[in-house]
Amino acid sequence: MRNPLNKRLFRELKSDFGKYAVIFIMMILLISEGSGFLVAANSMLFAYKNAFVKYKTEDGNFRISKKLSKNEIELIEGNEKVPVNIYENFYYEIPAEDEKTYRVFKLRDEINGVSVIKGELPENSDEIAVDRMFADNNKLKIGDKLKIDNKEFKISALVALSDYSTMFQNNNDIMFDATNFSVALVHPDVFDDFHDEYLRYCYSWKYCAIPEEKINMHGFSYDGKEGEIPIITPKGRTISKKYEIELSEDLMKEIYDVVHMEEYTPQYMNQAIYFTGEDFGSDAIMIRLFVYIVVMIIAFVFGFMINNTIHKESESIGTLRASGYKKSEIISHYMMVPIFVTVTSALVGNILGYTVFKDINANLYYGSYSLPKFETLWNPEAFVETTIIPVALMMLITWNTLRKKMRLSPLDFIRHNLSKNKNKKALKLSYKIPFFTRFRLRVIFQNSRNYILLLFGVFFANFILVFGLVFPSAIQEYSDEVDDNMFCKYQYILEVPLEVLGSDSKVESMISYMKFQSGVETENENAEKFSSYSLLSTTPKIKEEQIMIYGINGDSKYIDLKLDKDDFVVSSSFADKHKLKIGDKVKLKEEYEDKNYEFVISDIYNYTGSLCVFMNQDYMNEIFVFGDDYFSGYFSDEALDDIDEKYVSSIIDYQGLTKVSRQLSVSMGGFMSVIQYISMFIFIILIYLLSKIIIERNAGNISMAKILGYSNQEVSSLYLHATTIVTIISIIVSIFASSILVKYAFEFALRSEMNGWFYINVTNKIKIKMFIMGIVSYVIVAGIEYIKIKKVSLEQALKNNE
Amino acid sequence: MFLELNQIKKSFGSGETKVEVLKGIDFSLEKGEFCVLLGPSGSGKSTLLNIIGGIDNADSGVISINGDSMADMKEKQLTMYRRKHLGYIFQRYNLIPNLTIRENIEVGSYLSDNPLDVDELMEILGISNHKNKYPNQLSGGQQQRTAIGRAIVKNPDILLCDEPTGALDSKTSLEILKLIEKINKTYQNTIVMVTHNDVIKDMADRIIKLKDGTIRKNYVNENKLSAEELDL
Ligand SMILES: Nc1ncnc2c1ncn2[C@@H]1O[C@H](COP(=O)(O)OP(=O)(O)O)[C@@H](O)[C@H]1O
Ligand SMILES: [Mg+2]
Repeated sequence: MRNPLNKRLFRELKSDFGKYAVIFIMMILLISEGSGFLVAANSMLFAYKNAFVKYKTEDGNFRISKKLSKNEIELIEGNEKVPVNIYENFYYEIPAEDEKTYRVFKLRDEINGVSVIKGELPENSDEIAVDRMFADNNKLKIGDKLKIDNKEFKISALVALSDYSTMFQNNNDIMFDATNFSVALVHPDVFDDFHDEYLRYCYSWKYCAIPEEKINMHGFSYDGKEGEIPIITPKGRTISKKYEIELSEDLMKEIYDVVHMEEYTPQYMNQAIYFTGEDFGSDAIMIRLFVYIVVMIIAFVFGFMINNTIHKESESIGTLRASGYKKSEIISHYMMVPIFVTVTSALVGNILGYTVFKDINANLYYGSYSLPKFETLWNPEAFVETTIIPVALMMLITWNTLRKKMRLSPLDFIRHNLSKNKNKKALKLSYKIPFFTRFRLRVIFQNSRNYILLLFGVFFANFILVFGLVFPSAIQEYSDEVDDNMFCKYQYILEVPLEVLGSDSKVESMISYMKFQSGVETENENAEKFSSYSLLSTTPKIKEEQIMIYGINGDSKYIDLKLDKDDFVVSSSFADKHKLKIGDKVKLKEEYEDKNYEFVISDIYNYTGSLCVFMNQDYMNEIFVFGDDYFSGYFSDEALDDIDEKYVSSIIDYQGLTKVSRQLSVSMGGFMSVIQYISMFIFIILIYLLSKIIIERNAGNISMAKILGYSNQEVSSLYLHATTIVTIISIIVSIFASSILVKYAFEFALRSEMNGWFYINVTNKIKIKMFIMGIVSYVIVAGIEYIKIKKVSLEQALKNNE
Repeated sequence: MFLELNQIKKSFGSGETKVEVLKGIDFSLEKGEFCVLLGPSGSGKSTLLNIIGGIDNADSGVISINGDSMADMKEKQLTMYRRKHLGYIFQRYNLIPNLTIRENIEVGSYLSDNPLDVDELMEILGISNHKNKYPNQLSGGQQQRTAIGRAIVKNPDILLCDEPTGALDSKTSLEILKLIEKINKTYQNTIVMVTHNDVIKDMADRIIKLKDGTIRKNYVNENKLSAEELDL
């Protein structure tokens, strides 16, 4: 027969409606967000990976200075080692107003398909499709006019290109920029009308046949066989990365035999393609942790509530036990409410997750990446993670609380002897301590577990809060600092033609070098030549990344360093990120070859703009066999107008240097603010629930004190001030602790996951802001609790008095 | 008269379920008088005591102490009234479990401008040895002594006792009664003690019998016995 006790379920919920309502809201919000996030991330990841097959994403691309002839195409496609199909993917790289750059393609069908998010692809020559995210960032709508290369276009579609899910303009950019850079599609009729100077000859390729045994059965089909349903793996590859590198290196050689390339980018190196996929994983881990931690906090809150109820109903429990109720029956009865609350919230949360919150979270991704349209997929893992696991956690924690309590004998319950160790010595407090202080201390000790949870919850909330608050300010600070110690306004990185270095023919090499030299000659006196080369870092446990080596003039006017032959000076951000000091050995390696260099750091230069190294130019040219007069860039405080744009690979300026921080704020911002609101809410609710529990637990005592003649203020000052003290201490402690932890967590993440470096500093301003936010929330809660204390009736103490 | 009750009426519930618990109670006590309120269970003794103690309101009627009427006191003033004049002892000791014995008594002494000496009082109560223990480490009798200590440490004008020995065995009960008697003699407080034990009435100065919400008897005890002499 059903346990008759369980009829109390709804009565219990009703009797304490306010408390359960907030718990419900909190749980539902939490699980909705968790489920919505995981569902969105999973569905979008699937769409992203699926796009590789659906839209026939290229296996790589290369750029050359002129159009390939038919013959050349045949030579490349038919090469013996790595046969490929070659597709024209020409574009115009067109600068426009407000520092915008449009990369305009012809409507494409054979390769790198297009997902139309809104509108219709251009059908007339005055229509254009632009990247959806660029449009969002610049508040452009369908029908808006754009002026590109003096032609006016009407936006007819917002699209996502399968080879540009992340807006990297150049593949060696540290970060993407979807505000100032957009890909665009126009009708073929108008494609040839742009100015030739903007035209770039880019070709995409797809490998023709990959041997069966190399195809990873758990991956995608890269050979484009129709009808094959891809199976998802985290990285979405069909062939091992190792094999992919092998293929692409072979292909590079084959193409070089035919034509000289300006750029060669196999898919696995193409940030615009792979970057998005990598970002999905880390966010999902964070949200899972978030859900579990909050569920655990709520479970402990329930534990305390159950404890209170047991105290209240001690005699009845004793009587029930005495009359034959089993421990397990009592335990399961008291677990009913928390489990009911969790299961209900999980179900409602999942429904909201699949409907409302999925879109909220999808929009966060759409805010950072240009992803194709996605279909919501049923995600059984997310269901387990947001339903089964929370319910299990709740059961485990509440069951554990109850099991401990149920060790007491029925008689103990009847006599209300509920504290575990009856012979525990009373904590001695000197009678010299003022009575009220002693009283409060006793309240704190009595509720120490409550308060520990409070501390933990406050810490958790602050940890998330600090994340949300620190970014805008840290980014500002970092930008200011970069601005301060930038050694010149512009760094022109030149694109030395590959023939200069790579050609077998000495004569050809000489000729192209001379062409290059005359092309980059400048009259501007501001310009200072430097050599540059980039190598990969190899520091263990820190993500491999490009380190730019500058070879600078003996007496540079931009960099305040006198460099001799053996000098190897690292920038401060390189030193910080890689934990380097003067005298340390640094090993760097070639990007595409198995070749290492080792240097000893002679000094650290205060420069936060990038991870780089400064060397003597002559010495550098010698080491890397560049030749005596070699240089590959200019430092300058003025724009250099007289050098041939063709040879400029990139210009590093303030905007470029602060890309990391700006982009981080974009990609983390949305996600963080959602979590931040939830954690603020948790913070308030937690303080509310815990102080309520403390007051409920002491309701009898409070009532008695009132009978004895204590006023409401006095009672509050005893029972509320204890909580106030603990809350304030918790807030202060957790502000400092979470600041430190956030700093370390962030630095850890940057070191292991990301390129570039900037440190965050939780300023006093932020700490004060957090403190005020904490106190204000507490004051609100305390106000509510004061009313509660006022409402504790005098009869409460007399209830069991017959 | 020190304490005067005039036509105190009280009922609970409303409509069909309305129960008249007190149907017009009149009596008065002198300062220092020891009164026992006797009556069967459910006769309204506790209700009456709570009204005197200002923790429950009468529906009608007037209570005055030393000439001050309680009728028009607001919650705040009632608190002050309890604080100044009253000591309370219940059948359940109602001690604060996470305060030590001494601290529980301090809870009372804090309320008074000139309280009795806490340590001396604990000596009198015979609980000095336990002052640093928590209530649940003590026997029922010892806990009740502590509760008495808490009530009288502020030297109240009126001590209200609601079946103070109701949960104790007869030997311990006797000790508690002796203590109350001693307090009455030493400090001259007016005491109203509720009991349903007929034997206890003999130690009172005045005996009031309550039944069905009315006073059946109200007389001065001519043959007052000391607590020692009671045959519990
Ligand atoms: N708060 C209350 N609500 C309803 N009825 C009450 C309340 N308090 C007491 N009563 C009723 O009043 C009557 C007298 O109770 P009480 O004064 O406690 O009696 P006694 O102390 O003499 O045993 C009882 O019938 C009891 O049920
Ligand atoms: Mg009673």
